[in-house]
Amino acid sequence: MRRVGGGMSAFVAFAVGVATILSLLLGDNPALFGGQAGSEELARRLALPGDVLLRLVVIVVALSIVIGVANLLFVHVGRAARGAFTSAVVLASFAFTIYWYVSRRGDTSLLEAVQVPIESALAALLFLSLTLGGARILQKRADIWGLLFVVVAVIVLLGSIPLAELAPVKALSDWLLAIPVSAGARAILLGIALGAVVAGVRALLGQDRAFRG
Amino acid sequence: MDETTLQVYSVLFVAITVVLVYTARFFQTRPGRRRKQRQLDGFERIPTWTTRSIESNRPLHLSFGGADVGGEGTPAALAQAEFFHQVIQGAKASDATPIVTMSAPATLPLGQATLRRAWAKGGTAARAQWIPPDLAFAGALTASMDIDEPEAHILAGRFGPELALMLDGANRRGQPSLAVSDRLDGQAVAYALADHVLIGEELYAAPGYDSEDGRGHGDTAVLDVWRALIIAGASVLLLLEFARRVALLNWTLVLAAAAILIVLGLFFSRRR
Repeated sequence: MRRVGGGMSAFVAFAVGVATILSLLLGDNPALFGGQAGSEELARRLALPGDVLLRLVVIVVALSIVIGVANLLFVHVGRAARGAFTSAVVLASFAFTIYWYVSRRGDTSLLEAVQVPIESALAALLFLSLTLGGARILQKRADIWGLLFVVVAVIVLLGSIPLAELAPVKALSDWLLAIPVSAGARAILLGIALGAVVAGVRALLGQDRAFRG
Repeated sequence: MDETTLQVYSVLFVAITVVLVYTARFFQTRPGRRRKQRQLDGFERIPTWTTRSIESNRPLHLSFGGADVGGEGTPAALAQAEFFHQVIQGAKASDATPIVTMSAPATLPLGQATLRRAWAKGGTAARAQWIPPDLAFAGALTASMDIDEPEAHILAGRFGPELALMLDGANRRGQPSLAVSDRLDGQAVAYALADHVLIGEELYAAPGYDSEDGRGHGDTAVLDVWRALIIAGASVLLLLEFARRVALLNWTLVLAAAAILIVLGLFFSRRR
């Protein structure tokens, strides 16, 4: 039974994937069909399945936030029942925020008074973590690449200081950012794009385990 | 390039990739034809972590980050689901159910399905956890490091600079980590702070490293073929540009240099 279910879901994934990709690649461009009579109608019809399916995705994704909140509550109710104090705080905060929002007719001042300062404090902590991580990198990667990472980071940091004496460092920093860093970033993005295409094709063909069951 | 030409190229690119994926899978699933994967330090640590997880009864923590099903992160989320499935199966002798976290709510059903399928013992409902994104995600995970005491963290998906808080927290608690992100800022943080790091397309190659049936190996081979073609094409174009600007160079020399570069690339790639 499970095997049949897996086969069905793989077939649905394949059909939906192929319909969407063909619709996106071939639709809405009459020139692709030689611009002859009826080609506009054909291009419009080909674009329709893609439009419909993408709108469905938008609706499902918007609804998934409800699933997320339900999961958050479910996890923390279980933890609070086992005596986790922080989970009890999460649940109490959730209930109080809902009560505040409803009783004050959409007032978000509580969110701004608590959430924003906490996130700002975390952002400051993030800066410290990053600095510490940069300082410790040579402990983790004691090789030429770790050294290069630190040297480039120091040059870019020094180059961002607005001092006339550091003008040559700024020029070097600008060159580093414009040529080697940009080239490296493009190479990484290109690799990610290729990987995304292969993963997308695997999903499109219903070969992914998520669809095979 | 006009829109029609672009569409034709896109269709061709997808069609060629489909053919390559099927061809590579056909050859890689045959016994004795499977190609040897490049050694990646991060993947080699995973069996050690799963063994330790079994011995210590401490869970593994696997995170998709913000990789969102239905958005730009869909391929990353699907690739990681496959990878996590294999990691979880490796740790299934443990009594501690792995924890799967994500900050994109649409990825929650995928995470739950992955955990349920790979962890046959049940009790997985509360182990796939959605946490609000960005700094809240980092804060919550850092707090849970003390509560759940994971054996190791595998953070593979979409992360930004907030990854630094999680990795720093893991470092301070002596919990090893493997990190990779499809965002450049997250990738830089992962390189600086994670114990082991994957870079770029290795995020998508991950399923191929633990796959037993060879299909994942085939996908990795397709990735390598495309990458080699792009490197070869870029090298040839670069040399042609040089030839155009420097009068001393000629076409024969350029093609010979391109061939030498490609051979060197293949040689070093195989050695690695």
